[in-house]
Parts: sequence; C-alpha cells; structure tokens
Amino acid sequence: MPKARPADYRSKIRKPDDFDAFWSDVLRQASTVPLEPEVVPDPLRTSDDVEVFQVFYTSIDHVRIAAWYCRPVRRAARTPAVMVLPGYQMDPPIPKEWARKGYVALSVAPRGKLRSNRQFNPGYPNLLTHNIVDRHTYAYRGFYVDTWRGIDFLLARPEVEPTLLGVTGSSQGGGLTITTAAMRPEVRAASAGAPYLCGFADAIELTHTYPYEEINDYVRRHPERRADVEQTIAYFDGINFADRISCPIIMNIGLQDNVCPPETGYVLFDRIGAADKRLYPYDGHGHDAGRARHGAVTDAFFARHLPGREVSP
Amino acid sequence: MTQYWDDVLAALARYPARPEIEPLPLRSTTFATLYGVRLTSLGPYRLFGYLSIPTGAGPFPAIYYPPKYQSVLEIIPQGTANLQRSRYVTFSLAGRGQRNADTPYAAMFPGLLTEGVDDAASYMFRGIVADSVRGLEFLLTRREVDATRVVVAGNDIALITAALGSGATSVVTTPALFYRTAELAPKTNGYPLEEINDYLHLHPARAEAVRRTLAHYDLLGFAPGVTAATLLMAGAPGTLLDGPALGPLATALRGPVTVYESQQSLYKDGLYSERWMAEQCGITDVQSILPEHWRD
Repeated sequence: MPKARPADYRSKIRKPDDFDAFWSDVLRQASTVPLEPEVVPDPLRTSDDVEVFQVFYTSIDHVRIAAWYCRPVRRAARTPAVMVLPGYQMDPPIPKEWARKGYVALSVAPRGKLRSNRQFNPGYPNLLTHNIVDRHTYAYRGFYVDTWRGIDFLLARPEVEPTLLGVTGSSQGGGLTITTAAMRPEVRAASAGAPYLCGFADAIELTHTYPYEEINDYVRRHPERRADVEQTIAYFDGINFADRISCPIIMNIGLQDNVCPPETGYVLFDRIGAADKRLYPYDGHGHDAGRARHGAVTDAFFARHLPGREVSP
Repeated sequence: MTQYWDDVLAALARYPARPEIEPLPLRSTTFATLYGVRLTSLGPYRLFGYLSIPTGAGPFPAIYYPPKYQSVLEIIPQGTANLQRSRYVTFSLAGRGQRNADTPYAAMFPGLLTEGVDDAASYMFRGIVADSVRGLEFLLTRREVDATRVVVAGNDIALITAALGSGATSVVTTPALFYRTAELAPKTNGYPLEEINDYLHLHPARAEAVRRTLAHYDLLGFAPGVTAATLLMAGAPGTLLDGPALGPLATALRGPVTVYESQQSLYKDGLYSERWMAEQCGITDVQSILPEHWRD
C-alpha cells in the first residue's frame, strides 16, 4: 500500500485581494443576460416512472447551455431538487436515478460539453488551459456561471420546492459543487466527491496525470507565462471559494487518488466555512473516492436535509 | 468469423489509411513526443488519434487504446501517469462521432449505442469497429513498435478488435456494451445499457431487429478468435457483469485468460491492470511509471 499522504499538507493557495470584487463583477455581468429557459420533452428517454426533458438556458456571454431534467412521475406538488454536476471528461448523465429517489434532478452540461458546444468548444484536452493567462476570459469563468445558472432554472420551476435545493458531483462535479454552494445561498445541502479545480497550484506539483497535467504542458511550452497562469487560477480555485459555504456539506476523497491529490482535499475541507461539515477519507481508493460505499452516506445526507420527497415505487 | 464481419473487413480494405502525422509540441516532453494522426476508415471516414513515441532507441512495447464510449478522446486514460509514455508507444483513437472525429457525424452520449441499431448493415458500431481495426493496423506500421509486445486496452471494442484484427499480443477488456446485451439490458436501468431499454420502450416493434443486430456484436462470438493473453476486467461481485456472469466468455477465449473482479476501487483495479500490462510487456520496474499516489 502506498504511504499515507499528510493531512496537514502546507498548501500554497492564497486568495487574491480582489477575489470577491472579481466575482461580484462576473455575477453582475451574468445578471444582465435573461435565462430564456426552454424545456423539451424527451419521449425516448422517458420511462414509466421518470419524465425526462432536454433543457436549454442562456448563460453569461449569451452562451446557450444544455441540461437533462428528470422528475418523478409520482411526486409532491413541490418537490426537493438536486443539481448534478459533471466530471471533466464525462458526458453529463441523465439523472434518472435521482428522480427514482424522489427528487427533481437537473444535470447540467456547461459550455464546451456535448450539446453546449456550438458557441464555445475548446476541446479536451485544452479546456483547462483555454485563455488561462486572463481571468476575464478564462474558460472556467463562463463554465462556473453556467452551473450557477442551473440554480436559477430550478428556482423558476413550479414543481420545485425552492427551499430544498441540493447540489452534488464528483471530480470536476465535486469542484463545481464547492463553487456552486459557495456562490448560491439557495443551496441547502451539498455533497462533493474527489473535488477537482481545488488546489490547482498544489496539484500540478503533486501529480502528473491528466487533466491537471494540461497546465504543466502549457507552462513547459510557455514558461514566460507562468506568473499569468498562477494569477488566473487563484481566482478559480475552489479552495478560495470554500469560506463562503454555509450550508451543510459532506466530502469524500480517496487517499490514493491519482487525479485529484488527497492533500488538496484536506486543505479544501479545512477552508470550508460551514459549521455542519464532514469529511469521509477512503483509504485504498483512488479517484472513485469510495463511491460504492459512500453512495448510502450521500443518500442519507440528502434525505435528512432535503425532506418532503416521494419515492417512486 | 461471420459473413457480416468478412464483409466489413473487405470494405475497410478498399480504403487505404493515408495517414497524416503532425507533431504536437504542446503535449511533447523530454521523454515522449506526441503526434496527431489523421487516417481514413470505412465509409470513407477520416479519423483522428494521438500517437505518443518514447524518446530513445526503440522498438518499444505499445498500448493501443481503441475508441471508448464517451465523446472525449484522451491521450492516455485519465489518471494514468504521464510517464507511461516514456516506456510504451501509446495510440488512442477517436472512432467516428467522437471529438476530433465528429465531422460529418457527431455522436451523442447517451445515444450512440442505439444509432441505427435496428439494421445491422447501417448500425453505427459497424463503422466504429472498422475504425478500431484500422487503428491497430496503423499502429503496427510504426517502426518504433515492438510487434511482439502490443496491448489492446479498452472496453468491448478492445476484444472485438483483437479478434478481427491481427497483431494484438495482449488484451485488457472491460465489457460494458456487447456481452449478452439483449438479455442483460432489461435487468438494469443504468446507462449505457439503459439506452437499449429506452429505445425498445419507444419502439417495441423493433425488438427482433435489434436483437438480430446485437447478435453480430456479442463478445461470445468473437472470443474464439482471440488467441492473445487476455485480462478480463469483470464487475464487482454481485453486479451485472461480475466474474460468474462473464464465465462463459472467459471459457470461450482461446488464449490464456485472467479474470479480475473489480474491488470498486479505481486505485486497486487500475494498479492491477497496469501491473498486468507491464508484466506482459516485460517491464520490470513498473513502480517508476505509476501515478505518484499509487507508488509504494
């Protein structure tokens, strides 16, 4: 078994002085763009117990964002909702299993993902370093906002109970869970697995696997731009968002995670501002972060914090 | 091999690969050079792949990553140490519909598994299998490759490629799409097999046509054509594709077979696979090319 990784790792992540001002300005820009939601039934994916829709809405820079939207056929008039956020390379899933657990569920495809790539498509690899020398045009500026706007979509739905919103995801979805919980106070419970986009500057030294390796590739090719890269990523690091989180949150990490180093998970967890937080470190696990065992923990967590659902028989 | 696949391979042979190979300096290192490769497959259809060649005197063992069931084409699988590229030639291929090979056809995920599934002659995977065979053919043309040490690693397509193509000396396969599909899909509501359930829910009259198409792709039909050493990556005990479920497949393979049941840990499963490939290729210091967090 590999040696244990230190839980007291000394991170180099520092929040820029104008971090809050930067994101306030981004949110101001986003607020000028109408959501223009469109909900299209998808009979191919709809089953006897779950209704499936393709959803589209507009985000910052007027980029049209796609999502999958599922709701249980049998549900209360106002139902708790969970937003599901995708990994870096994965294609956003149709969240039928969340609907079968009794939630309305939205699975967002941020810009660049399939069905959201007509106006923005840097590709993979490349997304992580697209305009990485400029925080005002860096890929994740819009990418983050796309996920936050998913909350606006849910709040506008008549079947959603607006006081019972959760957010979850693993890997990049875990990182996006952190930033969404931080920036959207309407989120009442969050579950983040193996969070990516948290501790960029640490991770590129701790591991040499893709996707983080994209940054090492970029800096090796353009060493003169290192300072600009370091400046930009500080504005997008989930660790720097974490103190804004106030909702109950759970996190799971794998102690042999070869994609998102566990050291960064510990630092992130320490910075989370919520009083009700709990970390589940899984020894003997990699980037799965103990998912098979942790699923029951997540289910119980959301059942406790997002009550009022009806479970499909 | 059936007439169906004889016809596919014959049709593929009518199109020369005509590869274009361009260095990609951004992804090249002191220990490996990366190239973008464009080549022609059945259709004709122009594909894209990433070819990585280690620095130094070859020939080197090779790992071929055939098309995966996702839109993204990876240079090497996520989480693999970049140093893998220092010891192996690696070649990853986007099948038609995946990113970098999505013109004129862009696949949807979910969606690809049932694209044209009611007609075996036009089923999209007919072309994807041909793409994968073409990719292996291309890799074996490279003088840097040691033809006695060629691993094909992926999902069902890896095993199918090893059966239809020639040159694979080892196979790592994780069945997910084409093992007793018509029989197993109704027993799950998880994707990708849920795509079959979705399709038949909307088009029940096409069930027999779908069954006929899928029969051409069943791994049990390909297994007798695989003589390479095979690592069969099964699901965790009790899951749909666990060791006992894949037992008939293991028995039908003609080469030596190792069945590994998932421990539901990407670390443990990945480490086993990395070590197995290294052993097959005579690499004795696998520790040096593992991810940092997997090393002893």
